[in-house]
Amino acid sequence: METKIPFLEVSDAIVMSGAETLYWCMQCGLCTGTCPWRLVPGEASEQFNVRLVQRMGQLGLEGFESENCLFACTTCRACVDRCPRGVDIIGNIRGMRAMLAEVGTIPPSLKPIAGSLHSQGNPWSGPREKRTEWTEGLDVPAFSADTEYLLFVCCTSCYDIRSRKIAKAVVTSLRAAGISFGIVGAEESCCGESIRKIGDEALFSKLAESNINLYNGKGVKKIIVTSPHCLYTFNNEYPELGGEYEVYHYTEILAQAAAEGKISLSGKMAGEVVMHDPCYLGRHNDIYDAPRNLITSIPGADIKELARNRKNSVCCGGGGGRVWMETKAGERFAELRITEAIESGAKTLVTSCPYCITMLEDSCNVMGKQSELKVMDLSELVAENL
Amino acid sequence: MDQKIGVYICSGCGIGEAIDCQALGSVAEEFSIAKVDHSEMLCGVTGIETINSDIASGAVNCVVIAACSGRVKTGEFCFDPMTVISERLNIREHVAWCQPAGAEDTQMMADDYMRMAITRVQKTTLPKPYLEELDKTVLVIGGGVSGLQAALEAAKADYKVILAEKEASLGGQMLNWYKNTPTQAPYQELSEISVQATIDEVTSNPNITVKTNVTIEKIAGAPGMFDVTFSNGGGTNRIGSIVLAAGWKPYDASKLESLGFGKFPDVITNVQMEEMAKAGAIACPSDGSAPSVVAFIQCAGSRDQDHLPYCSAVCCRVSLKQALYVKEQNEENKAIVFYKDMRTPEQAEEFYKQVQKNGVVFVKTDTSKVTISEGSERKLSIETMDELLGEPIQIEADLVVLATGMQPATLDDPILNLEYRQGPAMPQLKYGFPDSHFICFPYETRRTGIYAAGCVRQPMTASRAANDGTGAALKAIQCVEMASQGKAVHPRAGDMSYPDLFIQRCTQCKRCTEECPFGMYNEDVKGTPLPHPTRCRRCAICMGSCPERIISFNNYSVDMIGSMIKSVNVPDEYDEKPRVIGFICENDAFPSLDMVGINKLNYPPWFRFIPLRCLGSLNLVWIADALSKGIDGIVLFGCKFGDDYQCHFIQGSELANTRMTKIKETLDRLVLESDRIRFEQISIDQYERIPAILEEFTQRLEELGPNPYKGF
Repeated sequence: METKIPFLEVSDAIVMSGAETLYWCMQCGLCTGTCPWRLVPGEASEQFNVRLVQRMGQLGLEGFESENCLFACTTCRACVDRCPRGVDIIGNIRGMRAMLAEVGTIPPSLKPIAGSLHSQGNPWSGPREKRTEWTEGLDVPAFSADTEYLLFVCCTSCYDIRSRKIAKAVVTSLRAAGISFGIVGAEESCCGESIRKIGDEALFSKLAESNINLYNGKGVKKIIVTSPHCLYTFNNEYPELGGEYEVYHYTEILAQAAAEGKISLSGKMAGEVVMHDPCYLGRHNDIYDAPRNLITSIPGADIKELARNRKNSVCCGGGGGRVWMETKAGERFAELRITEAIESGAKTLVTSCPYCITMLEDSCNVMGKQSELKVMDLSELVAENL
Repeated sequence: MDQKIGVYICSGCGIGEAIDCQALGSVAEEFSIAKVDHSEMLCGVTGIETINSDIASGAVNCVVIAACSGRVKTGEFCFDPMTVISERLNIREHVAWCQPAGAEDTQMMADDYMRMAITRVQKTTLPKPYLEELDKTVLVIGGGVSGLQAALEAAKADYKVILAEKEASLGGQMLNWYKNTPTQAPYQELSEISVQATIDEVTSNPNITVKTNVTIEKIAGAPGMFDVTFSNGGGTNRIGSIVLAAGWKPYDASKLESLGFGKFPDVITNVQMEEMAKAGAIACPSDGSAPSVVAFIQCAGSRDQDHLPYCSAVCCRVSLKQALYVKEQNEENKAIVFYKDMRTPEQAEEFYKQVQKNGVVFVKTDTSKVTISEGSERKLSIETMDELLGEPIQIEADLVVLATGMQPATLDDPILNLEYRQGPAMPQLKYGFPDSHFICFPYETRRTGIYAAGCVRQPMTASRAANDGTGAALKAIQCVEMASQGKAVHPRAGDMSYPDLFIQRCTQCKRCTEECPFGMYNEDVKGTPLPHPTRCRRCAICMGSCPERIISFNNYSVDMIGSMIKSVNVPDEYDEKPRVIGFICENDAFPSLDMVGINKLNYPPWFRFIPLRCLGSLNLVWIADALSKGIDGIVLFGCKFGDDYQCHFIQGSELANTRMTKIKETLDRLVLESDRIRFEQISIDQYERIPAILEEFTQRLEELGPNPYKGF
């Protein structure tokens, strides 16, 4: 075995890049044991050992840079919740990625994402001016001084054909609930959550600052988001850059409206649904009840829980930039969720995150289970029951 | 004393349902006794009043309480030991609760226990405590943090204290320290060394006489009457009890050449590191330069069969502390700790976390396999397998600090210089640390009246050593107080008996002087034992050892137990009712037998148990007595022995086992099978094993058939 020579200057640089808790880690390995990669076979499962990656970081050693190692982390936060030392493991991963991003050595599959964010303000290579194309035929109002909420639609739901249905369903539902909201449109940029997790701090700052300037200029106070990833960033990463807003996930707003009787749901499309907790709505933002309350406010709707639910929910595989990376069929977390959902006996799998929808629906189709299970965003379920 | 025995039989708690108490009373009346009294609840007001008024009127002066275990209702059945002989006969746990109610064999068992109890009382006399003019001064040996605290605590309790220190000044090892590990919440910051405040308190206390620059030339005598001679013209003082707080010394690093010590000038020990920090600057010895990368090697010569096999408990914390010194000297400095396991008990985990947060790098590895060689960029190169990486690594450093362990100061210097037949030093258990039955009685040693505290007892931190000083001082005070009342100290605290030797018949075989675990006997030139009663712990191991049976206690003797065996009724062989005598250690096994009853577990009715102070007090003559009387088998229940022994008297159980190997002669003479005797080690929580052992033994005895000596 070749003797490795640690470079403690490199580990100092990693700490400076944001891995502030790198040395807190006592290497117990609970993170590795908790990691969802242990649940699937394949290269990433074999190569990505989050404990070892942090050890290499602590010693400033090379060799963790590949797509299947450092970039395998979906930032699902399962390990962080269990770490006995309170290590910000995601922060450490981010710090190590940032070291690479600074010298331009992020995985090739992520380079177009960064490029698109730079030029178009979204990761999906969609032209900036088409950001509001999804609104066609909906007559979505523009945000103004008279609207209570800014509706921030995740880039995925602005450009991705499937995901646009979510944006539409959210608008329909909010409108039915009598919520006063408006959108900003093409000037808006990606919230920057994923690119920061990928490690491109500079690009994140650029995106965030542009949004903050825009919103502050327009007098935005309250924001409704369609994706829990945006919710995380607005809540946790914008304030220190000067963007302080009251931010809600749409499920919170709709659940509240339902509780107050402001939205009437018919129950025509109700029945048994099984729920997948998105990592960023659950573990990252601690929202578990709002989506459940919203489902149960639909007459006749019945929630079946997946065996691993709430805090123990298993990631769809789409966070931390993984939504843009290829994971081979048979090695995807989403497949586990689809299988579990089918085993539950329900015909509909409901979640509330655009990344989750992308990952879960894709796996459902690849597995050929689309006739057994329908994957829906919660907004769609609500809209269908109006 | 003209014995007037009152027998009080309780029928409460299910006893009356299991046993015919009237018939039991009739068994008692076969003896010459003053009265038998029955009660449905003897521990109630009426029951107690009856006994007390019988005693007050002079109608009885000996009481047999035939009721529950002697471990309960001790407040209710409490009589003046100077005027009343009392015996607790346990017919509840040992008969009623473990045998079928109303059975003939159950009744026979209770009847035998009644005979045995009355016999025991008949063979007991009132205590004549050993009362002498005793001194209560406490001598503390060692002026380090532990000794200082011991001296202070004893002095505050108003005892005169002599504090002896071999160095010129008080303070011990802490005088050489720069800083201490965190001592207060949130346990993240280093503490200042505060030993000077304690030294000032000690030197200004009028009860404490400090002798510096002295060692102990010799200690003669016994608790309450030690004569301690100090070196350097320090004179001789009469002393009551002693706290041995002689401290520790670092493991000899010259044995650690494999880690580069002695080979490279920049490989130093944690003690040297501490001294440098205390002196104001950490520097590489080779050229005096300030190191920017410092490596710490944990377990240097510790937890290593070739060196110290044990963990010194503090080195991890010391290296954490010294790693912070490195950072304190220059924030840019790097500290790397190579460790087998980081052991940071108590609140030190908080400290460990803090040090990690400060950027100290930790490398888990087998530190005994670390290779240290000359470096290329820095002075030294360290190569080892990083177990967390699973790959070898090489790191260069300017300075390597070996975290060496602690050894007791008594390792190769007896320090006490006792004038004891068994030698000048404290007996050791392992690694040079004193033997003490450490599980239950940490401060006790095998020299009564001498209590070990601090790192001479076991490796520990300074704050624990100070607490240890307090604990040992309290034991020293208890000792002088008990001794002055003629009472035993732990574990038979309060026992006023002591060995009485019929010296005319002594054959100078020296078994007693050799076997006493506490060195109670000195010897004259001919080898005649010279007892020192205040050293005695009353285990009666000497009584068990004596082939001439000349050692007795007023309430425990060879004759007493022999007579109790004889009092058991042995049915003839055609009755098919075997009889087995159980000699049972009263410290752990006997309470365990109580638990058998409490848990309502059954065992064969053939057993008659006799509690012994320690199984080591077992005299072989009892075995011969029993077997020649027709007893079918003998079972011995003692504590676990060996390195991790549980015997309250250190060696008693083991000695009993050794004696059993010699019993073969007796059996051969009687032409009996060796299987008739069984030795079992039992700990206090193993009561569930007892019925199974007894069942199995009964089966074996059935196979052997009845003892042919029945009826002789």
